[in-house]
Amino acid sequence: MSATKQMEDAVFYAAVSIADAEQRFQFLGQACAGNAALRAVVEEMLAAQAQADSFFKKSSAALALPAEKFPAPPAGGAGPPPKPVVDEYVGSLVGRYKLLQRIGEGGCGVVYMAEQSEPVRRRVALKIIKLGMDTKSVIARFDAERQALAMMDHPNIARVLDAGATETGRPYFVMELVRGFKITDYSDQNNLDPRRRLDLFIQVCHAIQHAHQKGVIHRDIKPSNILVTLHDGKPVPKVIDFGIAKAIEGKLTDQTLFTAYEQLIGTPAYMSPEQAEMSGLDMDTRSDIYSLGVLLYELLTGKTPFDQKELLQSGLHEMRRKLREDEPKRPSTILTTLHGPELSVTAAHRHIEPPRLISLLKGDLDWIVMKALEKDRTRRYETVSGLALDVGRYLDNEPVLARPPSRTYRLQKLMRRHRAVFVSGSAVALALVVGLGAATWMFFRERDAREQAELAGEREAELRQQAEAKEQIDQAAIYVSQNNFEAANEILDRIQTPPSRPSYDGVMAYRQVGEWLAWRQRWAEAADRFASLMGIDRLDAWQVVTLDYQACGVLLAEGGKRERYDQFCLAALDRFRSSTNGDLEGRILKTCLLFPPADSTMKEIAPMAQVVADYYDPTPKESFPPWPVIPLALWEYRRGNYAAADDWCRCGLDRGGQIQALNATVRIIQAMADQQRGRIQVAAQELAPVRQIVEARFDTSPLPGDNQSSWYDWVFARILLMEAAGLMEGNNANQVGDQAPKQPGGM
Amino acid sequence: MSEVTLMLEAVAKGRHASEDLLPLVYAELRCLAAVRMAQESAGQTLQPTALVHEAWLQLTGVGERSWQNRAHFFGAAADAMRRILIDKARRKARIKHGGGQFRVDLADLDLAETTPDDNMVLINEALQQLEQADPEQARVVVLKFFGGLTNQEVADTLGVGERTVDRQWACAKARLFQWIRQARPM
Repeated sequence: MSATKQMEDAVFYAAVSIADAEQRFQFLGQACAGNAALRAVVEEMLAAQAQADSFFKKSSAALALPAEKFPAPPAGGAGPPPKPVVDEYVGSLVGRYKLLQRIGEGGCGVVYMAEQSEPVRRRVALKIIKLGMDTKSVIARFDAERQALAMMDHPNIARVLDAGATETGRPYFVMELVRGFKITDYSDQNNLDPRRRLDLFIQVCHAIQHAHQKGVIHRDIKPSNILVTLHDGKPVPKVIDFGIAKAIEGKLTDQTLFTAYEQLIGTPAYMSPEQAEMSGLDMDTRSDIYSLGVLLYELLTGKTPFDQKELLQSGLHEMRRKLREDEPKRPSTILTTLHGPELSVTAAHRHIEPPRLISLLKGDLDWIVMKALEKDRTRRYETVSGLALDVGRYLDNEPVLARPPSRTYRLQKLMRRHRAVFVSGSAVALALVVGLGAATWMFFRERDAREQAELAGEREAELRQQAEAKEQIDQAAIYVSQNNFEAANEILDRIQTPPSRPSYDGVMAYRQVGEWLAWRQRWAEAADRFASLMGIDRLDAWQVVTLDYQACGVLLAEGGKRERYDQFCLAALDRFRSSTNGDLEGRILKTCLLFPPADSTMKEIAPMAQVVADYYDPTPKESFPPWPVIPLALWEYRRGNYAAADDWCRCGLDRGGQIQALNATVRIIQAMADQQRGRIQVAAQELAPVRQIVEARFDTSPLPGDNQSSWYDWVFARILLMEAAGLMEGNNANQVGDQAPKQPGGM
Repeated sequence: MSEVTLMLEAVAKGRHASEDLLPLVYAELRCLAAVRMAQESAGQTLQPTALVHEAWLQLTGVGERSWQNRAHFFGAAADAMRRILIDKARRKARIKHGGGQFRVDLADLDLAETTPDDNMVLINEALQQLEQADPEQARVVVLKFFGGLTNQEVADTLGVGERTVDRQWACAKARLFQWIRQARPM
C-alpha cells in the first residue's frame, strides 16, 4: 500500500468519527494543511460515505433476498452499519427472554436462541416475525389457539410456549429449543436407507396426528420445520412451528398477495392445491396430509413433486393452476428422469444402488405417495394415521390400502411375508389349521381368505416366480434406459419364465435388448429375447406385434432352430388367423414361408395367403405397395407357380427397386424361380451380384443402420440367399436350412 | 478449540481425508451461506445448501489441500463464495440486460437503477482495483462482504485487531463506491 493511501485512509477514518460538522471541518484543515490533494481525496471519500453505506447494504441485502420480488425490509433504525447479519437483537431482552445468539433465518422470521429466567431458567427458541404485519391480530390469533397448543404434548412436537410483541412492535413466538438438522439433510448426511427414512416419517406422522386430535393443523409442514435430534443415539424427529402459520396468516390484500405469501409459506412445493387457492377458510387436516405426501416424496427421491424453482418462476396464477391440475410424476418415475450422476448421488444417500431404489419405489410406495398427493382431498388418506398405517403395512409386507386390491397382488404380499412357508407346497392350507401368528390370522379373516389360500396353494410357485421376474425385468428396463444393454441382457437371460404381463417398460426392454443383440449379430441370444417377447401377452398395437413376429421368426430361422421355427410359425398362423389386414398378414405370411413349409403347414398358410391377395386385389401393379410383394412372390414360388412368382418379382423391382433389402430379396426369389424353370445360367448371373451385396452387409458389427429397412429384412434376404445357393448347387433346400451355416459364402 | 479446528488439524496430519470434514464443516459453512442467502427464499437460483456444496467442491476440487486452521479455511471459503456469487450475479445480470455482454450494457446504466446483482459485479470490479492498491484492505472486504464474517472473525483470520478491521472496512467502502461512481455518472 502506498503511503499516500495510508494517509488518506487514516484521515478519512478519523474524520468519520467526528460527528460535529464544524469540528470535522477544523480537523480536516489541520490534518491536510498544505496538502490540497489529500484533502480533495478525503472529502470525496466523506461525500461518498453515506451513499456507500446504503449502496453496500442494498447490494448485500440483494444476496439474501432477490429485490425484484420482495419489498424492502422494514428499516431497522437510521443508518446502522451494513453488516450482513443484522444482530440488533442479540444481547437484548425481548419480553422476559434474553436473546443469546441468532440461530437461523426462515422465510418469515429470524430465530434466536434465548434464555428464560422466570418461572424456570431454561433455553428456548425465539422467533421474531419480520413481516410488517398487524401484530395485534397475529397475537390475537395465536391466543385463540393457545389453549389447543397447550394441550399438545408429544415427544415429536416442539411446544410453542409463548407469544408477544417486541418493543418495535414485531410479533414473536417462543418455542422449545430444538437442536437438530432438517429431516432431509439429516437423512442425506447419514445416508439413511429407505426403511430408516420411512421409520422417521412414521414418527412425524404420529406427531401430526396427535396435533390433529387436539384440533391443531400445522399448515406449513416442510423439511425445515422438522428437525431431527439424537436421543440416546436414536434419531428423533421434532415438528416445530405448530400454530404459527395460522397465527401469522393475515388478511392479504391483492397487492401483497404474492410477495407476502412467498414469505409466509416460502415453500409452494409443499403447498396443497387448496392451500394455494388461499381460500383460507377452507383448510383442514387433509392439507397437512398433502404436505406429508410431499415430504415422503422428497425423503424417498430427493425431489419435490413440483419443482420449487419452477413454481415460483411461473407466477402465482400458473403456480395455482399447476398445483390444482398437473399430475406429478410418480416417485419411481421421477428418478428415471434424473441424470446418471444425480441419480447415483440420490441413491448413494439412500445406501442403495440406483436400479434397486427405483424398483423399490415402484409399486406400493408410489401408490402411497400418490394417494397422499391426490388433488381432490376426499381421495387422500382420511387421516394422518391412515397414511402412517399404510407405510407401516408396506414395511411389514402387508397389502397397502393405497393400492386397489387385486387377488394376485395380495397373494404376492402374503408370500413375501411368509417366503419360508410358501416354499413347501401345501403349507398354506396347513397354516390355516395350525395358525401362523396374529398377522396372518388377521389376513385370513378377510372375506375370501379361504378361497385365496387354496388358490395360493396351487399357484404359489408360479406367483413367486412371476413376482421375482417382474422385479428383474424392471431392473433390466432401468439398465436399458441407461444404455447398458449388456447388463440388461444378462438379467433377461436369467429369467426362465417371463411374467405374462410385465410393465410396458419391461416389454420395451425385451425388444430393445433383442435388437441390440441382433445388430451385433448375436443371433441366438437375440432369438431368445424375441421368443420371450412372443410369450408375453401384450396389448400392443398389432402393427408393432407383427414386426416383433417378423424379427423373431427370422432370428429362429437364422439360428437354424428349425423345430422352434416350425412351432413358432404354427403359433403365429393361429394368432393372426382372424385378421383381415393384408399388410399385417403379409408380414406373418412371408415369415412363415422363409423355409419351404411342410405340406400340412402349406394348408394352414393358404387361407392367409388368400387374405393378403384379396386385400390388395383391385390394386393395379403400377401402384402396388412394395413390401407386400415379397409374401405374394414367395407364396407363388413355394407352391410352384414360378411364372406368377416372377411376375410379382418384376412388380417388386418396379415399385421398390431402390430399397436395397427389398431389391435383394426379390432378385433372389427371381433367381430361384428362373432356376426352377430351367434357366440355370440366367439364374446364376442374377444371383452373383446380389450375393455380394448381401454378404457385404454383414461385414460390419453393429450392423449399419438404414432407414428404409430393418436388420431382419437383411437377415431374411440372407436366409433366402443360402437356399438359392444350395438350390443351384443341386442340394436339397431343406438341408440348407437345417445346417444353417453362418456364412453363405462358405456353402 | 472447536471441533472443526480439531478436524482440520487431523486433516493436515493426514489422518482424515478432507471429505470426512464435510459433515462437520457443513454447519459452519451453512451459517456463512445463510448470511448470503435467505433460507428458502424465493427466486434464488442457488440454495444455501447448494452454495455450501459448491463452495466445498471449489475448496477441495483443487487437489488434496489441507487447512492449517479455521481461519485459513474460512478465508478460502470466502474466496469460493465470492466466485460463486459473482458468477451467479453475472449470469442474472446478463439475462436481465438482454443477454449481451455485461460490461457494455452496464456502462450505460444509471447507478441509481442498478439491480443488486449489477452492484455485486460492480463491487467485484472495483475490488480488483483495490487489490492492486491495498491488498490487505481488499482482503477485509472479501472476508466481510463475500464471506459474511463478523469483524471479530475477520480480525482473527487476518491476525489484526478488531478496530483495524472496522477502519479498513469503512475506508474500503467509501473508496470502492467512489471508484464505482467515478466510472458512471450518478
